[in-house]
Amino acid sequence: MGLLATYWATALGRLIIGLIWIMALVAVNALFLIWMERKVSAHMQLRLGPMEVGPHGAVQTVADALKLMGKELITPEEVDRPVYWLAPIVVFLPVLLVFLVIPFSRSVIIRDMNVGILLILAFSTLTVLALLMAGWSSNNKYAAFGAIRSVAQNVAYEIPLLITVMSVILMVGSFKLSDIVAAQGSYWFILVQPLAFILFITCATAETNRNPFDLPEAESELVAGFHTEYTGMRFAMFFLAEYTNMFITSAVAAVLFLGGWQGPILPGVVWFLLKVYALIFLAMWFRWTFPRVRFDQLITLAWKVLIPLAFANLLITALVLKLR
Amino acid sequence: MLKDKLKTALASLKLAQVSDGDYARTGYHLEVAAGPEQMPAVAQAMLDQGCFLESLTAVDWRESFTLVYHFASFAELCRTVVHASLTKETKGAEAPTISRVYPGADWYEREVYDLFGIKFAGHPNLKRLLLPEDADFHPLLKDFGAEPGND
Amino acid sequence: MIELGIEEKSYTLNMGPQHPSTHGVLRVLLEMDGEYITKAEPVIGYGHRGHEHMAENRSYQQFLPNMGRVDYLHALAYNQGYCMAVEKLVGLTVPERAEFIRVILSEFNRISSHLVWIGAYLLDLGAFTPILYAFDDREHILDLLDRITGSRLTYCFYRFGGTSGDLDEEFVSGARAFIQRLRSRFRDYESLVTKNVIFINRTRDVGVITREQAVKYGLTGPTLRGSGIPYDIRKSEPYSAYPACDFQIPIGEKGDVFDRYLVRILEMEQSLRIIEQALNQLPDGPIMADKVPKRLKPAAGEVYQAVESARGEFGCYIVSQGDIKPYRIKLRVPSFGNLSILPEVAVDNLVADLVAILGSVDVVIPEIDR
Repeated sequence: MGLLATYWATALGRLIIGLIWIMALVAVNALFLIWMERKVSAHMQLRLGPMEVGPHGAVQTVADALKLMGKELITPEEVDRPVYWLAPIVVFLPVLLVFLVIPFSRSVIIRDMNVGILLILAFSTLTVLALLMAGWSSNNKYAAFGAIRSVAQNVAYEIPLLITVMSVILMVGSFKLSDIVAAQGSYWFILVQPLAFILFITCATAETNRNPFDLPEAESELVAGFHTEYTGMRFAMFFLAEYTNMFITSAVAAVLFLGGWQGPILPGVVWFLLKVYALIFLAMWFRWTFPRVRFDQLITLAWKVLIPLAFANLLITALVLKLR
Repeated sequence: MLKDKLKTALASLKLAQVSDGDYARTGYHLEVAAGPEQMPAVAQAMLDQGCFLESLTAVDWRESFTLVYHFASFAELCRTVVHASLTKETKGAEAPTISRVYPGADWYEREVYDLFGIKFAGHPNLKRLLLPEDADFHPLLKDFGAEPGND
Repeated sequence: MIELGIEEKSYTLNMGPQHPSTHGVLRVLLEMDGEYITKAEPVIGYGHRGHEHMAENRSYQQFLPNMGRVDYLHALAYNQGYCMAVEKLVGLTVPERAEFIRVILSEFNRISSHLVWIGAYLLDLGAFTPILYAFDDREHILDLLDRITGSRLTYCFYRFGGTSGDLDEEFVSGARAFIQRLRSRFRDYESLVTKNVIFINRTRDVGVITREQAVKYGLTGPTLRGSGIPYDIRKSEPYSAYPACDFQIPIGEKGDVFDRYLVRILEMEQSLRIIEQALNQLPDGPIMADKVPKRLKPAAGEVYQAVESARGEFGCYIVSQGDIKPYRIKLRVPSFGNLSILPEVAVDNLVADLVAILGSVDVVIPEIDR
């Protein structure tokens, strides 16, 4: 342990250990989340879900992953090869990089940058590029449709997300994630910014392409949307990226509104993970309850409802802070 | 009574037969016989009285066809059947379409063409409906299937 | 794809024949302008099996099982329609008890058909949970019907002159218990679906069918009643034991997709009422007419018999020449007319709306193709 602590002290050591930690976390998280999704959806639908492989199907995801890895990587003939190959990588890398600034507890942050939240928001938008690359290069009308929809959706919901985050930053006065957590020492921000919390959750659901905003993947309309032409491990990358994205947005929500890793008795990491998974459960609850919103209604919601609300929230926050 | 209004409306068209049907035995209130060329006028008369086209089909009597039109009404129970006899000419039987009056007849007429080979003059889109477009037979004709291997 | 200098205004999109939302083997050729549809043409016939041809080569009894395969979701209505048509031709009277049994079983079948529709329709719209709730309820109906008829889906239970089996005490008590259970489940459907804002936004004012269109296309069933026309064969041309039951015909106002959905939900409740009343009034007696000839040779003539199936009016037109085989049978199926209105209603809608409209018309492709 002493060796680990000394390595942790150096910047390079932090980076290396951090990267190993991220890889492990992403893999275990994906494994766990896929199992959780299947179990949650099953119980909401009056059935049991996976029960055979391992106790209550706990090892099912491993079996599925092994199956996916063994599948043939079929590349359709008319695709734009370099773009087609790069898309799954581009969708995954920014998500990994965002993990650098997430505060799992007081000391477990890989690099506590002073532009923390800005980095997260900036890198999250890179996934849009990946979706567009995937949809365009597939040379398939359905995939192109899915990509176009997802770009419009992501761009539209990015704006109220940013403005909502701004309201919280105004209260804290710093972009550093550890500062944001520290500022919630006496009370969590969800109590003073309930509207911002609701807006954030809505925008996050749209950013991660989850139901009721999962049009880019609408199975019953476009077969499979932008990843129609992807099979095997490449498809798994998109899948993995979606679940990791869910973790990221829930982590950011936990940091911004639920006090990060703070909580009595239990260690910080445990509290943090509990909050993150509670928010993920909420997202899953949405998915299995609501039908899908139609595309034009989706965009109308973003531009005509959420943006004005977000601006209003920002103004009110600014006013209240000024008057204090 | 709708039946009487229909009788009056159809009387002016000088049809071969307009008589009451035996509802308990056949399910018809009104039985009409007309020539195929009179059908568009008959259909217009039925539409004017608010009737809808229930069904349109054909029966192959070997020496001739009979086109059978069923009309009914949403407002009042009155089923009308119209039988229109078509002789089989060597070129192929043809009858005028009623799809200009009842757009719903479009598909029924395509089906009759598909299964019997009866053409409808003036139809906007007389393609086969149920069989593949390049099929060269009409399966509901009575002499279809007479050769072995054709059934 | 796009040539420099030439602007491509519209392109063709092909939906199906294998597609999650077309409810069977249906192909819809779409011409699109961006996301808006300029032309929609359904292509059918992938499931044509030649039932009407088969009818000419089989005796009347041998053709009975075919009716269950035409519309497998409401097979008992087709069974009933065909039996009644032949009974009219031959002049058979069905005993009272058999009529009530026919009504009870048909209404159960109607509810199970509507449950399938709700589940599949909401799945198209993106709600993944209601289909499992609906199928759970449907399992109870299928168990009840399985006990009596021996089949779960393609029933062939009625015979010329009555039914081939009788109801027993266990069925009656099971049916009564199920009625109570389904009534409480309707509350769940209402809060989960009917009052859901997202669902209402997807279905209100979408795919409006006017009364003039309904008359011109010969629509029947809930597709017609959503547009406000109260035409239901069970009330307009009563048959079997329906005159003894007191029920209402739910109708919509605007003729949009939401109205057609609501009509079906309310129809299920009315079906429950009919079953309850029929169970209360179930008379004792024989279940088959006496003196039904073994080789049925109806007199020459023709008959048209209409019954109300879950999708609309099923009409059975039989031409007989006094032979043991029918000369011609025409099956007038409701989905045929109901689907033919799609090209007109689909224009200027988004693809997502097309899915909503197509689902709301409730087509079963095998009955269109026969």
